[in-house]
Amino acid sequence: MKPPRAFLVSVAAGLGTLGAATGFGLVLQARAHALSHELPPWAGLPLPAGATPETLRISGRKLFLASCAHCHGADALGDEGPDLHGLQVSDRRIATVIRRGIPDEMPSFAKKHSPADIAALIAYLRTLE
Amino acid sequence: MDPGFWAEAHGAIVHFPIALTFFAALCDTVALPLWSRPVAGQLRTASGIALGCSALGGIGAAVSGLLMTRGDLLGHGALRLHHLFAWPALGLLVAAAAWRVLRWNSGTRGQHVVYLVVLFTLTGLVAAAGRWGGQLGQAYP
Repeated sequence: MKPPRAFLVSVAAGLGTLGAATGFGLVLQARAHALSHELPPWAGLPLPAGATPETLRISGRKLFLASCAHCHGADALGDEGPDLHGLQVSDRRIATVIRRGIPDEMPSFAKKHSPADIAALIAYLRTLE
Repeated sequence: MDPGFWAEAHGAIVHFPIALTFFAALCDTVALPLWSRPVAGQLRTASGIALGCSALGGIGAAVSGLLMTRGDLLGHGALRLHHLFAWPALGLLVAAAAWRVLRWNSGTRGQHVVYLVVLFTLTGLVAAAGRWGGQLGQAYP
């Protein structure tokens, strides 16, 4: 193949690969978003006695302001940490990140917050659309 | 499937494109001063095969990485930095491999020098992506 044509085909191959990867990523995001709403936000986590979605949300908001707002912003729209509106990951994933943190990005809150606290935080985060 | 599996798969796959890209750059660099000798052709053949395998490994690394992060194309913090280098590296890697497949060992020495510049740019992007990727080893439990 002549160099100009080979060059064009090569560039197209590179861009095509990136396009395919982007499409694949968007499909996975959509799938994760759908799966994250299959279960109620507190599924699998122990709840305080008498907790309702509304009391959980209020409790989660207080916990958020105490532990998360200084990085994610009081409105959770992001500051030093990312925007937390419309999270496209499962409750289990959110709970894991809160418990373990992310190296060099976010501290662990396993000692600070109980599973019930984490359930409340997740309930609050799910109200952020 | 559990993202933990894909995290392990990504870690296992990603080292192939890194190593093979550097190997390809080394072979093509050594081939340049030996241009008129038969060994230069052999080195360029080895480089072409390595780069082709590297591109396949790069695609595997991208797929496993996307499955690991559930489709996070950019992310935040170290993941964002990793992606800012990894995506251009993948595009350039596939383009360079396609060029090698289409042109194989034909072309002038001048064209080879230009190709080498592209290959060194690619190794820089791969190294930077690997540097930030290494920091993310425990980020996706």
